[in-house]
Amino acid sequence: MSTTSSALLTPELMAQLERLELVSRKIFRGRLKGERRSSRKGQSVEFADFRNYVPGDDLRFIDWNTYARLDRLFLKLFFEEEDLHFYALIDASPSMDFGTPTKLHYAKQLAAALGFVGLVRADRVRIETLGQPAARHAPVFRGRQSAWRMAQYLDTIEPNESGSLASGVKNFCIRNPGKGIVVLISDLMDKQGYDTALKYLLSQQMDVYVIQTLSAEEMHPEIKGDLKLVDCEDQDIAEISASVPLLQRYQKTLAAFVEGAREFCSRRGMNYLLAHNELPVDQLIASYLRKRGLVR
Amino acid sequence: MSIVNMLNWWQWSLLAAVPPAIVLLYFLKLKRQPLEVPSTFLWHKSIEDLHVNSIWQRLHTSILLLLQILLIVVAILALLRPGWRGSQLSGDRFVFLIDNSASMSSTDIKPTRLDEAKRRVAELVQQMKAGDVAMIVSFSDSARIEQLFTDNRRELERQLVTIRPTNRATRLGEALRVAAGLANPGRALEVSETQVVEGLPATVYILSDGRFPDVEGFSLGKLKPVFVPIGEPAAPNVGIIAFSTRPREDKKDQLQAFARLENFGPDDLTAQVELYRDDSLADASQVELKAHGSGGVVFELGDVHSAVLRLRTLSGGALRADDEAWTTVDPPTRSKVLLVTPGDEALELALATESARELADVETAKPEALDTKEYQRKAAEGHYTLVIYDQCQPKQLPQADTLFIGGLPPGGAWSALAKAAAPQIIDVETAHPLMQLIDLGNVRFAEALPLKPPPGNTILISADAGPLFAIGPRDGFEDAVLGGEIVGTNEKGERYANTDWPLRLSFPVFILNALSYFGEATSPGATNVEPGHAIMLRSAGAADSLRVVSPSGKAVVLKRERGEAFNFSDTDELGVYAVEEANHPLRHFAVNLFDSAESNIEPRQDVQIGYNKVTGETTWQGARQELWKLLLLGALVLLLGEWYIYNRRAYL
Repeated sequence: MSTTSSALLTPELMAQLERLELVSRKIFRGRLKGERRSSRKGQSVEFADFRNYVPGDDLRFIDWNTYARLDRLFLKLFFEEEDLHFYALIDASPSMDFGTPTKLHYAKQLAAALGFVGLVRADRVRIETLGQPAARHAPVFRGRQSAWRMAQYLDTIEPNESGSLASGVKNFCIRNPGKGIVVLISDLMDKQGYDTALKYLLSQQMDVYVIQTLSAEEMHPEIKGDLKLVDCEDQDIAEISASVPLLQRYQKTLAAFVEGAREFCSRRGMNYLLAHNELPVDQLIASYLRKRGLVR
Repeated sequence: MSIVNMLNWWQWSLLAAVPPAIVLLYFLKLKRQPLEVPSTFLWHKSIEDLHVNSIWQRLHTSILLLLQILLIVVAILALLRPGWRGSQLSGDRFVFLIDNSASMSSTDIKPTRLDEAKRRVAELVQQMKAGDVAMIVSFSDSARIEQLFTDNRRELERQLVTIRPTNRATRLGEALRVAAGLANPGRALEVSETQVVEGLPATVYILSDGRFPDVEGFSLGKLKPVFVPIGEPAAPNVGIIAFSTRPREDKKDQLQAFARLENFGPDDLTAQVELYRDDSLADASQVELKAHGSGGVVFELGDVHSAVLRLRTLSGGALRADDEAWTTVDPPTRSKVLLVTPGDEALELALATESARELADVETAKPEALDTKEYQRKAAEGHYTLVIYDQCQPKQLPQADTLFIGGLPPGGAWSALAKAAAPQIIDVETAHPLMQLIDLGNVRFAEALPLKPPPGNTILISADAGPLFAIGPRDGFEDAVLGGEIVGTNEKGERYANTDWPLRLSFPVFILNALSYFGEATSPGATNVEPGHAIMLRSAGAADSLRVVSPSGKAVVLKRERGEAFNFSDTDELGVYAVEEANHPLRHFAVNLFDSAESNIEPRQDVQIGYNKVTGETTWQGARQELWKLLLLGALVLLLGEWYIYNRRAYL
């Protein structure tokens, strides 16, 4: 594993992550049999239930012993074990290149950690960025041995992508029509708004997690004096004079923004989580995401 | 409140342009620090309502701008130098004459008059403009230059603090001459060779209670006098103006103490007086004193041979220096008189009277004894109080007062004309203690030497041919020379009476006068020394040094110089000084104020200087109270507040 990827995934974090697994509340059809016991009944060695035979059922699953005893046809049902499609969608716009560590690094770390959880449980892990063209597919990682490849791939992501949140999400949806878990890691700071983008995701019938990453500078700006704020993405300028009321107003606006996103998501059955770059990833996963039900 | 304009009109207009410039700059906000942020999204939302772009709304919220304008306004106000008008200094050269005599220690103005004078001078010094020069002179009976002309206000204030009160009398003349000498060079006064001050007009501020004699024969020249009387006109004061002891007339062995008190206040009062003998209360009494009147008190001391007496009045008033007086009773020491004569019955007889014996021990010696070693040693050591050389002349003058009869002192200072026959006595200086109660109208001399005394002498008997009797100082002693002999010797060696004076009553009186006058220095009980004046002390024996212990216990050792008597001048302290010789107490002397001019502390409202009458400044408005320091302080506070707000981003 390279040094940069080790920065993303420390052995301690991996050891902690190995005990976890990704959880989907929705029933997915996996393409391959995975280690996951699906809520769907299927073909596995683990017995689940009986049900009455209806014509057309596969005769192979009839429990002939029961038929012999009761003279009625029952079908034996087994738990289906299946794989899960896990998508991490990272916002790699220049605005993510702020904070210590940068928000992008934080997003990568989060994606790596969640991806590793998926890889360990033999899930199908795909990591994509918003700026990715619609036609280009990102590699799919499966199996624990792919962890280092995934980390290498994450390292190649640079904060230089342009494009709006909505178009990025739309492209993602076009590329990945299937079901699964998608974790959108972004600061949601799009001047066109985030609702269009989230609606695209919603239409995917995916289990959507929105993790809004903000840097400490954004949450508690330490600025003073008369300033000319330059937007790093569109070079937009905001002239401000730092003052207590302005900062209070900023805090209010930020709170309203975050609350709006949370509200938007929870109304639509999406999970929203606010993460700032100073909260360690292991802590975020171990406590916050566990509570949200993404991992267990 | 008045305002001193510190700037020209164009400077003011420049200054007036500053606040609008600040406002303009504030709008322009020339320098905004660019700062790259992830997104201006939230900022735009946040400043939407702050960004209404209304000037007034912006100003409304900008306490920094307000503070800046306030700061500049305060600074402009400070430049106006506002203040409350005080006494104006006029001119650009000042001489501050500060009276530090005894009366200035009065406490009718708290803490003392001297402190008040110093405070007022300090106020005046503060008002000095750049380039003004001032000089500080303190004066009592002598003047002392505390600070020569300087424009250094700090130095002036520093020197002002060092002025100390004294117990001395007041004479303005010398201080004025010092001031005039420095202000109007050309007058005879040299202060320092390096100090060259051109003759320019100067304002003389006299800060005093005015208790000094009018200055006569002084022309102010270019000096402009301003008299600032200091003191409460109605301040009460009771002073002891005399205190001494004397034997009772009827019983010579009984001593009496006399004191005289004077009430300088405007109210009648009864003064309580206490007499302490060697620091224990011996007697007390009351004196009725009318307003501006005086009264005496007598204490019976009984048979006292040695004592230190202290008199204290309990109702002393504002001046404390005159509330106590001291006198001493020392064991009587009779003066030692040596009569050197080839034979003079009249003189020997006059010295042998009972009264003369009480005053002095008289030794008689022949002129040949002048060559003996014993005489020379005793003469050089100051063993004798008085040596009378009758018809003879020593080789050297003794360390003693001398009276020459029919001869001249050696040394050549004294000379005489040729013997004049039958000189007619014209005048007798009866004011001199030697000639008190002496009438020489019936006295005739056969012949006498008309004297040519050295300068500084007092002629006591004048005759038609010239001075017949004169007395003059010599170092610490006095030499009296009588030109005519009492017993003459003709060419054949026969003795004859040269004068009929011994037949007259005035002769023994004269001898007694001489004994008491020359012997007075050795009867010290009555000696009172004015503060700051010198006293001459004599040793009893041949000691080379005397030790003088001041009332506060400070000891000074006096060394004998060139075989003279000891001179002690460190008498600024009031009280009893003890003189010791070889660790044995020799005598005491007291330093008392005893100056009714100083005790009369009522300030005068005008003083006479030469032909000018200087009326006191009746109202003292105090120094100009400056506000600019406060304003600048306020500006500093504003600046600090601005800085704080800027850094804390705490503007409301």
